[in-house]
Amino acid sequence: MNQDRLLKVDARSPFEVYFQDSALTVSGSNKVGKFDILPGHADFFSIINPDSELVIGTDQEDIRITASNGIICVKDDQVQLFLNI
Amino acid sequence: MRRPSAILEDTEQVETVEDLTGVFESLATTQIAKVKNKVDMSKEFFNLLWAKYASLRLDPQSRITSRARSSNGRIVFVVISAEAGLSGDIDQRLIETVLRDYDQKSTDIVVLGSHGAQQLMQRGVRYVKYFRVPTSDSYIDVSPVIEAISPYAQAKVYYEEYISIGVQDIKSIDLIQSIQTMSKDSEGSEDIISEKDTIFEPSLNEIADIMETAMMSLAFSQVILESGLAQDASRFNAMAVAKKRASELVGLYSMEYNRARRSQNDRQMREVMVALKRKKHERSKYA
Repeated sequence: MNQDRLLKVDARSPFEVYFQDSALTVSGSNKVGKFDILPGHADFFSIINPDSELVIGTDQEDIRITASNGIICVKDDQVQLFLNI
Repeated sequence: MRRPSAILEDTEQVETVEDLTGVFESLATTQIAKVKNKVDMSKEFFNLLWAKYASLRLDPQSRITSRARSSNGRIVFVVISAEAGLSGDIDQRLIETVLRDYDQKSTDIVVLGSHGAQQLMQRGVRYVKYFRVPTSDSYIDVSPVIEAISPYAQAKVYYEEYISIGVQDIKSIDLIQSIQTMSKDSEGSEDIISEKDTIFEPSLNEIADIMETAMMSLAFSQVILESGLAQDASRFNAMAVAKKRASELVGLYSMEYNRARRSQNDRQMREVMVALKRKKHERSKYA
């Protein structure tokens, strides 16, 4: 896998780290609709829909997280997910 | 002097208390380790969130306080006490500190924890709302409390602070100010995020609102955790003292039991000797 084209994802809640590794994609939904973050995505700051599912796509198994609410911040292929806030 | 069987019965009871306090002591130690870990994780989360918020270059003090313009003009004291007893005198100290600052004319009290509510009622002080202390291993839902205090102009939180296993203190903070205090470590570490180069969905203002509420909830959650930590430490100390006292009592009872046994044996021996003497006397009388 080409390490240059990966997202660096950190998904956590105040008391739990769900995922902290490289990933291919991050998908979820917000007020506007569904979104997919891939490497090279524009800087993005959004509120995640309450109780919606987030999917972190990796080269192995997809990680699925359902959070009561949250924020996603994407900057320079770094994705931070603040969940259950 | 008590009978040995009665002392033995009491000893068994005190030994049970000693065992129980030992169990409570271990539970408190485990809980302290668990909560300390949660506090550290929550602080790390807060710092990361704050770093993002700070990069938006908004002033939380002016934003949050401007929201409070439609407030009822009163002050609210949020008192975080324990849910149950057996935590030493820490709740009593907490309530005494609250009442020193309390002015019925300008202030309302919101209390968390049945022990604190009980102590206020005993002193004839009325509180406007009572909540159970939120407990969860993964998520503390403080939104009902945040909602209850939102109409107030100022929210002062009184809680028990963990300093060390042996020392716990009573502390009070202004909730909004505490957000800024907590964020000191992470300020200025991120690049500026502006609407020029970033997509905000739905909007920068809505995101900032959510982040501010989240940070306020986090600050409040941390105070609850900190309070729980202090209560566990206080419970540990109370149990350690109770265990020591129970051990001393077992020692005292053991001495008393031995004395009572010896005295009972002496008495029985005396009775035998008297009987023998009497028999001997009767025998010599008829011989």
